[in-house]
Amino acid sequence: MPSAAEPTGPGKPANVPRFWGRFERWNRKLHFYAGLFLLWFMWLFAGSGLLLNHPNWSFAESWNNRQETNYEREVTAPGPELKDDLAQAREILRQAGIEGEILWTTTRTDPNLFDFQVRRPGHFFFIKVDFLRKRVSVRQSDVNLWGVVKVLHTFTGVQMDDPRNSRDWPLTSLWVVAMDGVAAGLIFMVLSSLYMWFRLPGKRLGGAVALGLGLLICGLFCFGLRWLY
Amino acid sequence: MRAGFFRLIRDLHLYIGLFISPFVILFSVTVFFLAYSWLPRIGSETSNTRIVSAFLLPENLASLSGRALIDALKPGLERAGVQGEVGFVRHLIKEEKLIIPVIIPGRVTTVSVSITNREATIVARETGLAEAMVTLHQSPGPHGPAIRMNWVYMMVWRWMADATVYLILFISLSGVYLWYALRAERSVGFFLLFAGALSLFGLAYALSR
Repeated sequence: MPSAAEPTGPGKPANVPRFWGRFERWNRKLHFYAGLFLLWFMWLFAGSGLLLNHPNWSFAESWNNRQETNYEREVTAPGPELKDDLAQAREILRQAGIEGEILWTTTRTDPNLFDFQVRRPGHFFFIKVDFLRKRVSVRQSDVNLWGVVKVLHTFTGVQMDDPRNSRDWPLTSLWVVAMDGVAAGLIFMVLSSLYMWFRLPGKRLGGAVALGLGLLICGLFCFGLRWLY
Repeated sequence: MRAGFFRLIRDLHLYIGLFISPFVILFSVTVFFLAYSWLPRIGSETSNTRIVSAFLLPENLASLSGRALIDALKPGLERAGVQGEVGFVRHLIKEEKLIIPVIIPGRVTTVSVSITNREATIVARETGLAEAMVTLHQSPGPHGPAIRMNWVYMMVWRWMADATVYLILFISLSGVYLWYALRAERSVGFFLLFAGALSLFGLAYALSR
C-alpha cells in the first residue's frame, strides 16, 4: 500500500494522467521539503508558545532575572525638519546608538520631554529625552535566552488593540515575513497532507475519524461555545 | 521488526497529523491577523444589552481580589446567564461599580454591576470567527496566570494548545525519521535542514545581538 512517505512510481495505475502523477510526486516532495526547512522555526514557535502559556515555569523566568543598566548620553535636539515623533525618536536612537522597534507607551504633553521605549528580542530600552538639558536617559534591561525566545514568538511591532504602534524597524518587518512564511508553509503542509491522505483508500476511514475528531474539538471552541452558551 | 516500526511511525504521523491539522490551521491563519493587526469580519458583529436586577454579589466583596474575587462572582454571573472566562475585574470605588469582562471565543460580555443597588447592565458583543480564533491563539497567554483559566472550557483549551505543541514535536520528529528512510532525498533534505537552521539562527542573531 502506498503511503505519504513512500515514493510512487512504476506501481501507479497506467490510467492516472501524467499531470496528476507529477502533481502527486511534487506534492509529497514539497510536503517534506517544507517540513525540513521549517523544522527549526516550528520548534521555536511551538516551544515558545508553550513557554508563554506557562508563565509559572520558573526555569524559563526571564524578566525577574533581567540585568539593568542605566546611562545618560548627550544629544542634540532634532532639527525643525523632523516634526513627527517617529522621526525625532529615530534621530535620538541614531545619536544614542540604539537599534530596535519603537514602542509608544505614553502621550507626549511637554514638547521638551520625550519618553518612549525601544524593544528587540532580549533587550528593552526605556528612553527619556530632555531637550532642554540636551540629555537622554536610558534604562536598558537585558533578559536571558528564554526571554529572547518568548519575545521572538510575539515580535511583530504591532498590537491588535493599539493602533498607535506600527512597524518601524526593518528587521521587525523581515521577522514578520519569516512568520508569514512559516504560517503559509504550515497551511501548505496541512493541505498537501490532506491530499496525500485522500489518495490512500485504505487509510480514509481512520484518517476521517482522526480529522473529524480534530475538527469537532476545534469547532467546539471556534463556534460551538457561542452556540451552547 | 524494523519495517513494522516504520509502518507504525508512518501511520501515527498520518493520523496524528490529521487530528492536529485544524489546530495548526487555526494557529497559522491567526498569525496573519496578529502580524498585521487586521481582523476580517466573518459574520456580522452584533451587540445586545440587558439589565438584571438583584445581582448576587459576595458579602465580603471589599476584601476579595484576584482569583478569589472571580470565584466569588461566578455564582452571580451564572444566575444572570453569563458564562465564560472572566478577565481582570475592575472595582471603581468612587462610582461604587464593578466592571466584569467575560469572554467566550467570539463573544465579549461586559457586566457592569452597581454595588449600591445590585443592578447589572450586561452588554454582550458578538465579535465573530476571526476574533474567536485570535482569542484562542492567545489563550491562555503569559498575562495574569493567577486569574486565567477560570472557565472549564478554557482550561480544556489550554490542554489542547499544549497537546498541539507536543504533537507537533512528535509529527516533526517522525517526519524527520520518515524522510531519512528515503535515501534518494537525503542530500536535499540535509541542505534544507541546514538552510532552515541558518535562516532562523541568522535572523534571531540579527534581531537580538
